[in-house]
Amino acid sequence: MKTGTKVGILLVAIALLGMAPAIGMADHHEEVSNPDLKCLKCHSKNLKKKLEDGEKMSLRIEVEEFGSSVHKVIGCTGCHRDVAKGKHPSKQPIASRRAYSLKHNQTCSQCHEAAHESYIGSVHASMVEHGDDSAPLCSDCHSAHAIQSRVAYEPADGEPCSRCHTEINEAFAQSIHGLARSEGNLIRGDHVQAPSCTGCHNAHDISAVTDTDYLVPTCISCHEVAELAHEQWLPNAGMHLKSVGCAACHSPQAELRVDLQLYDRLRQAPVRQNENNGTVQETLAAIDTNGDGLDPVELWQLVRQINDQEEASDITLLGRLEVTNSVDAHRLAASTEAVRSCESCHRSDAEPFQNVTVSMSRKDGRKESFKADRKVLASAMSVDSVGGFYAPGGTRIKLLDGLLVLAILGGLAVPVVHITLGKVLRKKKENGNG
Amino acid sequence: MTTSESTQQPRGQEHERVYLHPVPVRIWHWVNALGFLLLILTGFQIRYVDLFSLMSFETAVHLHNWVGFAVIANWFLWFFYYISSDKITNYHADLNASNFFKRYFDQAQYYSFGIFMGEKRPHNVNPHDKFNPMQKLTYQFVMFITAPITFFTGLMMWDVARFQGLINMVGGIRVVNTIHVLMFILFVFFIFLHAYMGMLGLKPSSHYKEMFTGWEEPHE
Repeated sequence: MKTGTKVGILLVAIALLGMAPAIGMADHHEEVSNPDLKCLKCHSKNLKKKLEDGEKMSLRIEVEEFGSSVHKVIGCTGCHRDVAKGKHPSKQPIASRRAYSLKHNQTCSQCHEAAHESYIGSVHASMVEHGDDSAPLCSDCHSAHAIQSRVAYEPADGEPCSRCHTEINEAFAQSIHGLARSEGNLIRGDHVQAPSCTGCHNAHDISAVTDTDYLVPTCISCHEVAELAHEQWLPNAGMHLKSVGCAACHSPQAELRVDLQLYDRLRQAPVRQNENNGTVQETLAAIDTNGDGLDPVELWQLVRQINDQEEASDITLLGRLEVTNSVDAHRLAASTEAVRSCESCHRSDAEPFQNVTVSMSRKDGRKESFKADRKVLASAMSVDSVGGFYAPGGTRIKLLDGLLVLAILGGLAVPVVHITLGKVLRKKKENGNG
Repeated sequence: MTTSESTQQPRGQEHERVYLHPVPVRIWHWVNALGFLLLILTGFQIRYVDLFSLMSFETAVHLHNWVGFAVIANWFLWFFYYISSDKITNYHADLNASNFFKRYFDQAQYYSFGIFMGEKRPHNVNPHDKFNPMQKLTYQFVMFITAPITFFTGLMMWDVARFQGLINMVGGIRVVNTIHVLMFILFVFFIFLHAYMGMLGLKPSSHYKEMFTGWEEPHE
């Protein structure tokens, strides 16, 4: 090759290399419409806006992210409708990043009406309504500008739920469901459709577990033969499926407890914190004055007090045997590893009965628990207050044990006394005759 | 059966014997006795699984349920036999209360004193009035109150989900269980007493023998 040709090729190569970033940018720019490119001309730079809370919020939009977002078709003004020529950049103050995201929840709802309606009834929205800044808004899960299509929210790594529910996601990853998902939806060689987070909890209308049937119907909706399978060996299967959380047996390493939930039988719903009964902690701490957990008398007083406060109510305590924490609830094992021994729960010294809580739902629907003395499960005082929970053997009332001992002793004493009396009287008679 | 039930004097015996317990009553009695013993045994196992382990909790519950149904069916055998027979008079209440309690007191006095002094028993049995006042009151209470309450509460606990509405009306599963256990305690006491009182015939085996043969044994 001639030297001139070599130099020519080198110059072309250098020119191409130099143009490479521009070609790449041009690729993304080609995906973004012209009006949006005008916005990005400034917003691809490191612009920042000082917020009222002192934070400097970046106004930089990653071109690549927006270019690959499903929202690129509606363009910047699809959401930022308040941006108008001559009025931008806006001098309108922004209180905080959270306030800005909250405002844009409404923006999302204008197109995604159905999803927003579902979200409004969710525990997340309820937390937002009650001022909990940790509750997710639309952009917290979907991001502001890198919004992906629905299929992107079904990965095995738990995104976006795992960003907040990290420990739960780790537990889930090791569960029978998580392992199946990571191994191509296979369990013991069979193809299954193992659930992701939304498979059990839904995407937008996520309920507080306490406000539902503890997801038992959700489990059964996939495990269709579960009810029948339990009925074949488990006495009172229907009652067990109602009063014992699935995870209590199917997460065999989990720590268990009995939770006595304040429940209104007339409304058929858990008692929620309201203006009458104050915060859960305040209500329960006011009764447990010595701070050692609610004893049987205090528990009885609590039920009576809430009954008096609530208009037209029939308050009771619904007992439920469940895992102590929500992380363990996701550590589900194969059915072959599930607890099957009745004795593990029906002994009076069984683990769940040593750990008793009383719970009430907070305003946002999430459950808040308060420690109770384990004696509440075995006290005669609880016949009324804990009327809705009884595990034969495990939570037996001690007073009845005493009565049973008296019945046995009495039953033995009658013959002994009667025979002795007979001997004395016969002897007396013989002596009299003699 | 009617002829053999009639009062008659079996050949070769001086003492007049009475045919007190017809076959259906005897079948009912011994099925009931076996049933109650099994129910008490399995009931103990269910309630005190941490104290002894004669069988697994699961086995005890299944056995308790099956025997429970057998005892309920057996109660209906007893009920329909008596309701369709002239022997129902055995369970008729004595409408003359003062007379009944006078006789009740006489019977109590006999058991606590007269029986040892060789006195004549105050109540003479016949197939239509075989229970003395103490027995009558006890059996009325056991058969018409205690047993049905035990059956109903047991039935509710057999399938809590099925009877949830009824259980809520009663006050909850703990109330139902407490009533069931109180009945269980009464039955435990009753079984001791019943077994002992059965030995107060002329011989300790007399009344037991009656419950096998149907014929009243010599009593004095």
